[in-house]
Amino acid sequence: MSDYTIYYKDTLQLEDDWPTEWDVFVSAYTSARRVRQVFEKVKAAQKHWLVFAEYGYAPAEYPAGRVFAPETRDEADFIRQFWETMAPDIASKSICVDITGFIRPYLCFLVRWFVSCGIRRFDAIYTEPSHYARREETKFSGGPIVEVRQIRGFEGNHMSDAVDSETKDVLIINVGYDDQLIAHVAESKESARKVQLFGFPSLRADMYQENVLRVHRAAEAVGDAESYYAPANDPFVTASVLREIVSDWVARGELTNLYLCPLATKPQTLGFALYYVNECLNSSSSMLFPFRPEYDKETSKGVSRVWKYTVELPAVTTPGS
Amino acid sequence: MKDKFANPFNVTKADVFSDREINALWVDIASGDGFWKLAKLTSPMPMYILGSKGSGKTHLMKYFSYPVQKLRHAKGVVEGVQQDGYLGVYLKCTGLNASRFQGKGQDDDAWSCVFAYSTDLWIAEHLVGMLHDLLGGNDAISAGEAAACTEIAELFDNSPADVPKTFLALHGFLRGLQRELDTAINNCGVNRTLTAAIHTTQGNLVFGIPTAVSRHVPEVHGLRFLYLLDEFENLSFYQQKYINTLIRERKEPVSIKIGARLYGIRTPSTYCADEDNKEGSEHETLRLDAWLRKVEPQYASFVRRLVVRRLMDYKNVAWPAASSSQEMKHMLGSYFEKPPYTRFGQKETAFVLAKYAGRDRPYFLTLRRNLETGIKAGVAPGVTVSTDADSIIDLLRVADYPLLEKVNILLLYKAWNSSRNLGDSATKIANNCQRFVKDPKSSPKYARVMHHFRADLLAQLRRECGGGRRQRQSYLGLDTLIAMSWGIPRHLLILLKEAYGWATFNGEQPFSEGALSVRAQEAGVMAAAKWFFGDAAMAGADGKQVQDSIARLATLFREIRFSHKPSECSAVTFSYDETKASAEARRIIECATNWSLLIEVGKQRDRNSLRVDTKLQLNRMLAPLWDLPIYRRGVLALSPDEVNAIFDDKHVATFDQLKQDRVARMTAPFFGRKAEQQSPPTTRQDRLLPGFDDE
Repeated sequence: MSDYTIYYKDTLQLEDDWPTEWDVFVSAYTSARRVRQVFEKVKAAQKHWLVFAEYGYAPAEYPAGRVFAPETRDEADFIRQFWETMAPDIASKSICVDITGFIRPYLCFLVRWFVSCGIRRFDAIYTEPSHYARREETKFSGGPIVEVRQIRGFEGNHMSDAVDSETKDVLIINVGYDDQLIAHVAESKESARKVQLFGFPSLRADMYQENVLRVHRAAEAVGDAESYYAPANDPFVTASVLREIVSDWVARGELTNLYLCPLATKPQTLGFALYYVNECLNSSSSMLFPFRPEYDKETSKGVSRVWKYTVELPAVTTPGS
Repeated sequence: MKDKFANPFNVTKADVFSDREINALWVDIASGDGFWKLAKLTSPMPMYILGSKGSGKTHLMKYFSYPVQKLRHAKGVVEGVQQDGYLGVYLKCTGLNASRFQGKGQDDDAWSCVFAYSTDLWIAEHLVGMLHDLLGGNDAISAGEAAACTEIAELFDNSPADVPKTFLALHGFLRGLQRELDTAINNCGVNRTLTAAIHTTQGNLVFGIPTAVSRHVPEVHGLRFLYLLDEFENLSFYQQKYINTLIRERKEPVSIKIGARLYGIRTPSTYCADEDNKEGSEHETLRLDAWLRKVEPQYASFVRRLVVRRLMDYKNVAWPAASSSQEMKHMLGSYFEKPPYTRFGQKETAFVLAKYAGRDRPYFLTLRRNLETGIKAGVAPGVTVSTDADSIIDLLRVADYPLLEKVNILLLYKAWNSSRNLGDSATKIANNCQRFVKDPKSSPKYARVMHHFRADLLAQLRRECGGGRRQRQSYLGLDTLIAMSWGIPRHLLILLKEAYGWATFNGEQPFSEGALSVRAQEAGVMAAAKWFFGDAAMAGADGKQVQDSIARLATLFREIRFSHKPSECSAVTFSYDETKASAEARRIIECATNWSLLIEVGKQRDRNSLRVDTKLQLNRMLAPLWDLPIYRRGVLALSPDEVNAIFDDKHVATFDQLKQDRVARMTAPFFGRKAEQQSPPTTRQDRLLPGFDDE
């Protein structure tokens, strides 16, 4: 079993020269300066912009360079098409992904796709903002929530208990700023016991308070929930904390079906995906997500730290995965 | 007893309760034979149990499920189930994770076949697990069990090589098939290849297993196998179509009950030549919250007992076992601080006397302003100089009774709207008022106006003379909170949860030391109302439009309520001509009704055309957000233009003007007419207040 905490992470300075050069670099395009700065800074044989339809960019607004912008809003179709058409034969290549602008289901499926392609390691970059544009009122996504569903590739083999309908489903929500997303996912698994995983320490000191204020708005939907904490900028500790939470529920004999829902920072989303591909494939565990048709192009101000995470992935061991 | 600091109303969803709690906290309704009879558990006729979020569908369905049957009949489960006459197989449609069966490069036909097979396996696995629990390990039935398993194995296209002999082994076999199918479905998301093998014909397991078991195991012979499928709204169109097909093709000894929210039925269609299931023919429908609203006194008694259960369980509140409904009402009511009630509103309006001692009360200042504007514009009949206005105001004063002063002013505005001489009218009103104070029976018409408009005028007084927290609109007392919940028990629990939470945070100890304070109730009511309104945003793509429409409607009601001469008293209900409203307005109204923001309260005959229109009332839970009454009296007949302006986004730009036009007709001094157009209204209805003729 992996010890996530020994995975390598480092900070990079935007002012310095970055020594590493990758074969392939991909970044999700948004209007945030922090995303564009990193794209310019990275050295790679191939650099690709991914433009997600949810951001609503018109072709005239696309950035210069190699742009992949299909119309699909299906995370699996998008990621598969990109790698199959733009960058095939990736198993032997060094890959770097700037996860800053990724929409969460796409990021999760990317990790799942890498596993199915036999990739054992990639680098992920994440740039922290100085603050969110409208503090705790910042809106990250818009439009109605179309559906809450499992993320492709993160669908489990779930079980039901005929003679004891007492809920042994556990939903772990990585709670972020969007209370409507939290409420929707909580309601979609109404009978599940709820666990809230907060990003703490948060990216900036005041962000935790802002986070708590927003989460409170979803209190009626969530109900009684245990709270846990993992650093907002650390995917590896997040994966470790997830393991601890799940082990605890298993030890109590109170877990039949596990549902994970990453709604907080991208590093934590990466941590959720990492935990799942290491420990949940082909089990009664799923990753859920409340899907929305629109995401804001720019939600943050300023640039704080730039993180580089070296993510190691498990070998493909199960048929069909 | 639970933790003494725990909020007894914290759990508002049956989903969170364990089977033991579902059983222990069960409260039946005192109507007929209660929910038991209402649900018709042994009837072969399938049933849709529809209701708003929180109306109690899940509690009801779980209570009738096998795990709770088992708890009820702990001394002899088989005998108990036989006595019940049915075996309840409870399943939540969310358990299917139905969104897996779409996209991934496969067409809908492929998914509908896979979904049907997966559903059959899911139901079968659940049922066989239950049968093992009920009958397994009983040597006396082993021969029957093996025979049933053999017959069940034949339901598969290719019988398994090693036919399971017990329900336990059969359960394992079915679980294996389900895992194999799940893996194929899940991997399809990654590799876009669906390699699922389907081993049975649709419906074979769902109906075949009960038939086989009934035939071979005498212990369950004659039992109704009742599938209780909850949260139906989580299935897509074609998925519901499959369940509808099972309903249509139902075979003995099976019946099916479907739990769904009001908006949850996407289609009545089936795969039987695309024919629709019809109510009364293929199924019946129980509309749970509508039914609970219909039997309001029984509902009130039911939720009171529900509250008592919580208090006994969490707060160790002692309760005489044999207390009557009235005793319970009285005792429970004493836990809630209530506002005073006095005949002429003396105590309710005491704050006016205190605050405006030695100075003019705001409503008289407003009346003076209106009279002076009317004099200048020549639209104040019989009033030409300021001193006339002084005389009128003096006539309407009843210093000790601000509420009666408001009644008097309302009557004067009504007379003014009818272009009657204001001086004469003020004299008549003053005489009626004096008679009423001496003996209310001696002035029945005045008494009627007082009775009809009392709540609205008190609300106006609080608004005009209050300003401080104490004079907020009043939604207090358990009876009021029960009325606000209006057929949705969860709403009452949320109201109480919020109020209790506020109280304990502020150092009160309600239900153990003292009553739930007015402030706690106010805070709870407002928090619950905000939650309910905010929850409408959950209504998917239409959520925002529905919220905005409801806000416009409520604003119109509020402006009418606080106008000088409200056309209707306690206006929280409207009627409209469905044939003239736009399709979009009708759709949004339907959506708001399905989310219970609007409640249908019957039909109304239009005064002019005699056409029968639907009447819809704003959900009482929303009343505090706009200072509206919770009980309805008058019904506002909205014009097609008004309905479209409120509910159809394309017409929203006209809303402000239409609202202004309507409210202007209730506003002195012009009452919607220009100065040169002053003439009395034409219809008798417009001229008269309820109970007032041309005396």
